[in-house]
Amino acid sequence: MTLLQLEGLGKRFGEVWALRDLNFTLEEGEIVGLVGPNGAGKTTLFNLISGRIRANTGRIIFAGQDITELEPHEVCHLGIGRTFQSSRPFPRLTAVRNVLVGRVFGRGFRFWPRPDDLETAQELLDVVGLLHKAKTPAGSLTPSEHRRLDLARALATRPRLLLLDEVAAGFSPVAVKHAVGLVRRVQERGVTLFIIDHFLNLSLRVSDRLLALDQGEKVAEGPPPEVMRNREVIRAYLGLRQEDEDH
Amino acid sequence: MWITALVSGIALGSFYSLIAMGFALIFGVTHAFNLAHGELVVLAGYVAYWVWKGWGLSLVLTFPVAVAALFCLCLILQRLFSLLREPLELNSIVMSFGLAILLQNGMLFAFSGDYRLIRAPVLTEGVHVNGLSLTYGQITLVVLSLVAIGLLHLLMHQTYLGKALRATIQDREGAALAGINVRVMGLVAFGIGALCIGLAGPLYGSIHYLYPTAGLQATLLAVTITIFAGVGRIRGLIVGGWLLGLVESAAVILLGSSWRELVSAVILIALLVFRPRGILGREEG
Amino acid sequence: MERAAPPKLDLRGPDRAIPVLLLLGLVLLPFLAGSSGYVLQVFTHALLLATLALAWNILGASGSVSLGHAAFFGVGAYGSGLLSLKPGLSPWFTIPVGGLFAAVLAVVMGLFCRRLRGAYFALATLAFVEIPRVVTDNWEGLTRGSLGLVGLPGLPALTLGPWRVEIGSSAGASYYLVLSYAVVVVFLVALLWESNLGLALQAAREEETAAKAVGIHVDRYRFLSLLLSACLTGISGAIYVHLTRYTVPGLVYSLHFSAVPMIFAMCGGRFTILGPALAALVLYPVDQFLFHPLLPAGHEFLYGLLLILVVLFMPGGFWGALRRSP
Repeated sequence: MTLLQLEGLGKRFGEVWALRDLNFTLEEGEIVGLVGPNGAGKTTLFNLISGRIRANTGRIIFAGQDITELEPHEVCHLGIGRTFQSSRPFPRLTAVRNVLVGRVFGRGFRFWPRPDDLETAQELLDVVGLLHKAKTPAGSLTPSEHRRLDLARALATRPRLLLLDEVAAGFSPVAVKHAVGLVRRVQERGVTLFIIDHFLNLSLRVSDRLLALDQGEKVAEGPPPEVMRNREVIRAYLGLRQEDEDH
Repeated sequence: MWITALVSGIALGSFYSLIAMGFALIFGVTHAFNLAHGELVVLAGYVAYWVWKGWGLSLVLTFPVAVAALFCLCLILQRLFSLLREPLELNSIVMSFGLAILLQNGMLFAFSGDYRLIRAPVLTEGVHVNGLSLTYGQITLVVLSLVAIGLLHLLMHQTYLGKALRATIQDREGAALAGINVRVMGLVAFGIGALCIGLAGPLYGSIHYLYPTAGLQATLLAVTITIFAGVGRIRGLIVGGWLLGLVESAAVILLGSSWRELVSAVILIALLVFRPRGILGREEG
Repeated sequence: MERAAPPKLDLRGPDRAIPVLLLLGLVLLPFLAGSSGYVLQVFTHALLLATLALAWNILGASGSVSLGHAAFFGVGAYGSGLLSLKPGLSPWFTIPVGGLFAAVLAVVMGLFCRRLRGAYFALATLAFVEIPRVVTDNWEGLTRGSLGLVGLPGLPALTLGPWRVEIGSSAGASYYLVLSYAVVVVFLVALLWESNLGLALQAAREEETAAKAVGIHVDRYRFLSLLLSACLTGISGAIYVHLTRYTVPGLVYSLHFSAVPMIFAMCGGRFTILGPALAALVLYPVDQFLFHPLLPAGHEFLYGLLLILVVLFMPGGFWGALRRSP
């Protein structure tokens, strides 16, 4: 089924359109990679979907419900989780409590903690390979551990759709391989994934489809090999524009 | 009666702008909120009072003394503020809150809670024009603040230093990348701030009564005007000051003087809630 | 980097000794102090300030710094004072109602200042005090304005079966009442931080954007912490007014009651449970016994100086730093 529908989505900052008239659908169970050079509008799109900013035009429909005007915590309750480009753990809370927060509040509010909340939090830490650091304050972890913690925390909110922002940026080939495994494990849990991957080291390997943006507009969508052969996409990444070619 | 209110409003407002100038410059350049700003003005007033009373200096001569004293103090303050960690705005508010309490108690100890006044009879004399009376004190306030604003505006727009200051105000990181020494800019801002405070203090001491807890009100006024004018906008400070002075004078006539502080408080809260970036300034991107 | 554990009342190791010893000392104080009524008075006031510091820190540990908590203190004081004076209701009733009045004021503040953060919120609270203060000062028909309220009923008697204690007229009994109240507040605060609400507040304080992204309605929870903080502050204000049996606007709305609890919370430890209370119980007596006699005017400079030092060099507070060491 169609999980996410973007209809005519547009966002303007002052005079500049960061995103313009975007139409796209995402099917449940897919892994879709969101690619494009700097300034293409990828993080803006995530911010729009997750409710951090308001769209100027268009609609966002999630599982049949219009979520365009919703606040971030409401979007989370409906089942969309996300991580951030620069990871944001809660520094003074331990790793396990970081994940616990996601578990407790992901779908609403309960006043008292439940025993299985802690178990689930620990299990998710295990999935991302951080169980041994459960009692460490998140502020003391390394940046790549931060990213994995963010992922575990987002998973704890029991999302149907997970927006991953640059989860593998700057990773070595070995780390990318681990990331690929992680992403597949997440997919096996029934989560649909929308991944921003500027450097393309992850999304080419795991994505079923790619959505390529350039300067706020869709330039291509489809299976990875096809999209990466697309002339517009190549030009965008190399920084050339139509006008440059005509000279 | 309304003309008198207009005059006193503008005179009062000019005084407020003078107080706000130092605060606005320091905040604009360093992003440090100095909640003890008012206390510094009162302290400058006390210093002036002390040399006036103790050494018999005339009012005019107390100004350089006050400025010099505040200069030294502000240099120390700049060092303190530079030690603060992120988030700078909040930490500076809390630290300067402690400073305000420290200074208040210090002044209470040194000068007791009695109201003090620098007597300069010439300031209460005045001129009468068409049934309207203006004191020399009020004229001094208006002229002095206009001159100060004018000079500051000239500095900011016609000198290289001023351009550097404005660049730092607009974008600290950008300015640093462009080669401007933002630390020195901070020192300059505190220095000019000290000048403004050193001028405002003795004026305060000769027109208002000095008492140790007068500072907080002055600080809130400075903050209000700064937010109204928008960060880094100098001319807005005069406009804001006058508006505030006029509103207060009107409030005193309509409601009585005891409601003055509530009116100022409501204005500040309204500015904070509805327009933290300033009413006169343009919204940033 | 701060200690891993959430603020917990679970006291292990050297942590356990200090608060327990302190509690013991406080319980035995009336007997230890002997005939000195002054000592008892100082510690009664210190305990009340401890409850104010704890109440302030409910908001403080959620990430919001308030510089105007005296607004709630004063409203609670006047609310309870007026109700006990004119309709002549018993303070057992009017004290909690004072807390309710403070909560209502917090609702008004919260409605306007909801979106404010950090330094701007602090400024708003600083200005906000003027509103109830000026109203109280001028509404002479109701509050007798700056003349204040005098002859307020003291703390009421407690009747348990055949046993009756006139708390108001006994310094010792008043002391134990305030001590019990302080212990209750400590447990309330501990309960809060153990609960999910406490977890949400901590998360919101640490990283507001991430907290929202995992489903925390940050504005609403901050609002709740403001209400709780204000209510307890109001109750303390009400108790204060029945202890001293008089009040003027300039006293209960003064900077003293905004600044001192906040300074205790910051010096003690914003991210701990007991820190604020411990700071109050150590610093206030030191101020009263040591500095006040030396400098009758201006002895409170100590608080200002400590705040500056803590902000610059020890943001976690003294108790926070103590708990961090192995």
